[in-house]
Parts: sequence; structure tokens; C-alpha cells
Amino acid sequence: MNVLIIEDEKALAQELEIFLTNYNYICDVCFDGVSASEKIAVNLYDFILIDLGLPDYEGLDLLKEAKKMDSEAACIILTARAEITDRIKGLDLGADDYLSKPFSLLELQSRMQAIIRRKFGVKNNIIELGGFLIDLTNRTISYYNDVVNTITKKEFDLIAYLILHKNRTLTRMQLSEHIWGSVVNNDYDSNYIDAHIKNIRKKLNAFAPPDWLETVRGLGYKIKINA
Amino acid sequence: MRLRTKLTLFNAISKLVIVVLFVLLVPVLIRNISSNYVDSKLIKQKNKLLQIVKSRGIETYIENGEGYGSYLPLKEEYISLEDVDPNYFSDTIKRGKRSFSEGDTLEYRILSHTFKVKNKNYLLEIGKSVDTLDETSIPLQNIAFQVLLGMILLTILADQFYSNYVLKPLRLIIKTKLVGQKFPNFSSYRKVQTTTTDFEYLDISIHKMVETIADKFQKEREFISNASHELMTPISILQSKIENMFEEEDISDELKGRLIEMQKILNRLKSITKTLLLISQIENEQFLKEDKVSVFDLLQDVYDEISIRLQDKNISYDIDVPNNWQFINVNKFLLFNLFFNLINNAIKYNNEGGYIKITATASHDKFIINITDNGIGITAEALPFIFNRFKKFRQSLQQDSFGLGLPIVKSIAAFHDIEIEVTSEKDKGSTFKLIFPATLIVVA
Repeated sequence: MNVLIIEDEKALAQELEIFLTNYNYICDVCFDGVSASEKIAVNLYDFILIDLGLPDYEGLDLLKEAKKMDSEAACIILTARAEITDRIKGLDLGADDYLSKPFSLLELQSRMQAIIRRKFGVKNNIIELGGFLIDLTNRTISYYNDVVNTITKKEFDLIAYLILHKNRTLTRMQLSEHIWGSVVNNDYDSNYIDAHIKNIRKKLNAFAPPDWLETVRGLGYKIKINA
Repeated sequence: MRLRTKLTLFNAISKLVIVVLFVLLVPVLIRNISSNYVDSKLIKQKNKLLQIVKSRGIETYIENGEGYGSYLPLKEEYISLEDVDPNYFSDTIKRGKRSFSEGDTLEYRILSHTFKVKNKNYLLEIGKSVDTLDETSIPLQNIAFQVLLGMILLTILADQFYSNYVLKPLRLIIKTKLVGQKFPNFSSYRKVQTTTTDFEYLDISIHKMVETIADKFQKEREFISNASHELMTPISILQSKIENMFEEEDISDELKGRLIEMQKILNRLKSITKTLLLISQIENEQFLKEDKVSVFDLLQDVYDEISIRLQDKNISYDIDVPNNWQFINVNKFLLFNLFFNLINNAIKYNNEGGYIKITATASHDKFIINITDNGIGITAEALPFIFNRFKKFRQSLQQDSFGLGLPIVKSIAAFHDIEIEVTSEKDKGSTFKLIFPATLIVVA
């Protein structure tokens, strides 16, 4: 997958590049709007990440150009200006998603995955883990013929996020940012993740021990999936 | 009391006092004036008599040493002349009573004057009755009183009319510039027409002050908005760097632990900045109020988000809200956050095994939702300040708040015109009472 990163903050552009390269994307980086405009005109991309706060270019204009040149590319807007009108405008102009800074890199990756699934119409997205069948599309977990229906929405979100970032340790902060990201919270306590994990384990244990859901001591949690 | 009433009252009272004083003084004044007049007449008569004595001799009046006396038929005036002891001396005008041979006693203004003619001493007395004078003063007093009272009423009316006219700009300034203005959103400036320079000055000064306040408010909002926006990018860079470092293969677990510490602190910075940004966005009215949602459903959504925290502390949670109540003209995201923060606080400042109750009542045209807990409560001293930013009065056991939960609640409530009343008792618990106007809730 080819990604064009348009971000004038070089340090951030660099981190985006490192992270996405790690996830096997092929990255092109632009620090300004003019060169980005040229790249969009010349190359074909699967993803274009656009920072709206460019010094030399109106970010939304780049979005328009991209849509005109190459309708295949999925555009994700990255911005520090979390204005509601910006968000609406961006999505109206055909942006596929919108992330306000500061965002977690994992969150970016999960949004890109969601777009890929949408674009390629992945119907059967079922993972098998220690006898459990986890259906990411229909959001269900079953053990052989039994459906585990005690799992709550939040608990499923946690499992799905860990599966998406399989074999990596996710910290409590990263997990709580994902499941409580929309709540403007007065506290920064992420210990409730432990309570959620405890509940998930208890519910799954009624069927079989979920050994694949690992606690990485002092760091966080991980779901191990052997390729 | 209003200025116009005060002025009119003062005018009326002061005039009345002056008139009463004057009317009371009328007899004294009349007596003074008339006695002056009488005195000068008496002196003239005396001089005339002395002139006669000088030219025609004392014998004109006194013969054979007998005294002379004469009076008018009704005894309004009398005159007497007699010789007296050579050493007696008198030259006065004063009041006195005189009896007549008929037995009458009358009061007179009496001029006494001694003079010598041919080594003999004579006393001259001329008297004029004063009763006639006193009688005139009472009707005079009455007339004066009536005339003056009439004049007072006229001037009061005139005063009233004029002060009404001259104070009209002031009334206008108060009515249009001060009453019913919602701080700091004042309506735009419209000059009040007046020829009184003081009011003109007042009008302009109020306008300038309002403008300054509005400007400062705007600057503060802009500053918070800009500062939090500007902080987002550096925070984003740091967060990405930490996340990438965390995934490096050659990093030890010990170092990863420290990276998590950094992530925690960065998260704190992020939460504060995001919250400040949210408050400034609410205050700048960047949210729409077009959502419609059932009260019960919204509270259920909050419960879903927050149930893990209730379980964690074994707190019972009870929603007793009519199923048919619906929020209208609200921002669902903001209302969610309002309830989330209030209920989150009720959990945070509660004891293990405590309870939280959400009850609802409708009264008149208001809808009331109470959030009650039996937690650690708020002291009476802290109560007035709990909605201030960065104020932390209650020591939460988790040590994890930064004092912006209630300021968010306050901003969201103000944005929706929801009133909040808080009652609390230390160690007994708190109740947050949300009063919704009828424009926000309908009974379906």
C-alpha cells in the first residue's frame, strides 16, 4: 500500500513514516503543500494523509485536487484545529476519515484498516483463537456452537483493537484512548482497563481459558496470533 | 427607591417645611410690622404735641395742675398729660394695659415721654389699641397658607414633569444598557439621546466599560483556544515518538516501563489541553443544539461508559427518570459529557459500597434532574468555588483529577441555559440539581 504523508511538522512526519513502514506501508513524505500537489498529480497512492495546517497551502484544496486526480486514494485529514466546521467540510469534500491531533498512531492504523475493509468489501473477517471464533464484522464471539453473548460493546472493542494490533503490547493508555476517546474526561486514570480485561477473562473462562489474551507485566496487554 | 421618586419626595417635603415655617412666622411678622408702623405714628403724634406745647405753652392742656386726658369714643386711642415727680424719667414705647373709669381694661401700644417745661416735669402718654391688629393676623395666616399650598402643588407638578423629562435618558440607559443584559454578551451600542452632559458621559462610559470587558473576555477565549490548539501538535509529536519507541525491538522492559510513565504524563497534559479546548469551543458557541434524545437513553449511554467504575467500587446506581422525557434542542455529545462528569464525580468522591441515585421531578414549567450520592461531600467553605477551574478541594483517593470536571459541566450547562444547584454535607454526600427550562425537555 502506498501512502503519501503531507505534514509540515518534520518530527511528526518522520514518526508517521517510521510507524507506517513498520506496518508494511510504502511511504512518501511531503513537508509543504506545493510539492504535495505535484506528487498527487504524478503518483498513485492508496492513502493520502493531509495535515490541514500547512503554511503554504489550504489543506482542503489538496483534498479537492486529490479527489479530482485520483479517485482511488483514501484521504484522512489530520489536524490540530478541531473545529467542528472543519470536520464537516472535510468529510463533505470526500475525506474518508478525520483525526484530530493528538492522536495515537495505533488509532491511525485502525482507521486505515477500517477503510481497507470497507473498500475491498471484506465480508468474512473471522479470527480463530483457542477455539473461539471472533467475527470482527458482525461483532460476535462464539465457542463452537455457543455464542458468548455476555460480552459488552466496550469489551468487544478492546478485543478487536488488540486483534488488529496483534502480537504487539498495547499499553493501558493506548487502550483507554481507543475505548474512551470520545469522552472528555476529567481524569487520566487508565486502571479501568484492568477491570475490563478481568471481566472478559471471566466471561470467556466459562467456555475455555483464553490463554491468547496475555498480560505483559508492568506494560499492558497483547493478543498472540501465530501467522 | 428610584431617583425620580426621591427627587420629587425631597422637593415636596422641603417646600412643605418652608411653607409651614413661614405660616407659623406670619403672626410674629405681622406684629412686628404693625408695631413698627404704630410706633412711628406715635412718635409723630408726640412730636406734634410737643410742637403745640412749645408754641402755645403747656397751658393749652394743663390748667391748675390738673392732668389732661382724651380718647376716641371706642377707646382705640387715648392721650394723657400730667405733671409728675421732677426726678421721674421715661422715654419708651411698649405694650401695656390701661383701665378707664368706666371699668374697661384695654391693651395698648403706649408711648411714654417725660419733658420739662418751666421747671416742672410732665409725663406724656399716647396709646393705640392693639386688639385690632391681632385680629387681622389670623385671616392673613389662613390666606397665606392656602395660597402657598396651591403654589406648592403647582411647583410639585412642574418638578415632577421636568424631572421626568430630564431623567428620561438615565432611565433609558438603565433599561437598555444594564437591565437584562447577559454578561458578557451585551447587545450592540446604541447612543441614548440626551442634552445632559452627565448622562452622555455615563452612557459613553458604560459603553466603553462593556466593550473593554467583552474585549478582555474575547481575548481570554481566543488565548485559551489558540494556546490549546498550538499545544496539540507538539503533544502529537511526543505521543508518536513514545509510541514508536515502545515498539522498538531492542528496548528493555525496564525502559518500556519508563516510556509508559512518560505516556501517562503526556496523557495528563493531553487531557488538560483537550478539556480547555472543549471549554473554549463551548464558550465560543461552536456547537449546534439540534439533537433530540430520550433522557433515559442518554443516562443509559452514560451508564454503559461508566459501569466499570461503579463495579470497581461496588457502588449501586439507580435511575428513576420517566421513560417519556425527551431532551430537545440540545447537543447530545455535550449533555453526555455533562452527565458523565457529574456521575463520574459521584463515583470518585464516593465510598466503597455507596450509592448514586438519579431522580427526576417536573415543577411548573421546569424539569429537574437530581444526581445524589452518599459520598464524602463538600465542605461549606469549598462549595462556592467548586466550579472554578483547577480548584481541587476534595482529595480523591485515586489522585487522578485535575479540577476541570465541574468547569466543563458549568460551561455545558450555561450553553444550554441549564441551572445547577448544589447541596452538600461533609461526610454525608452531595446532590447536584439540574434545572432544565421547558425548551429543553418534552414529555412525549
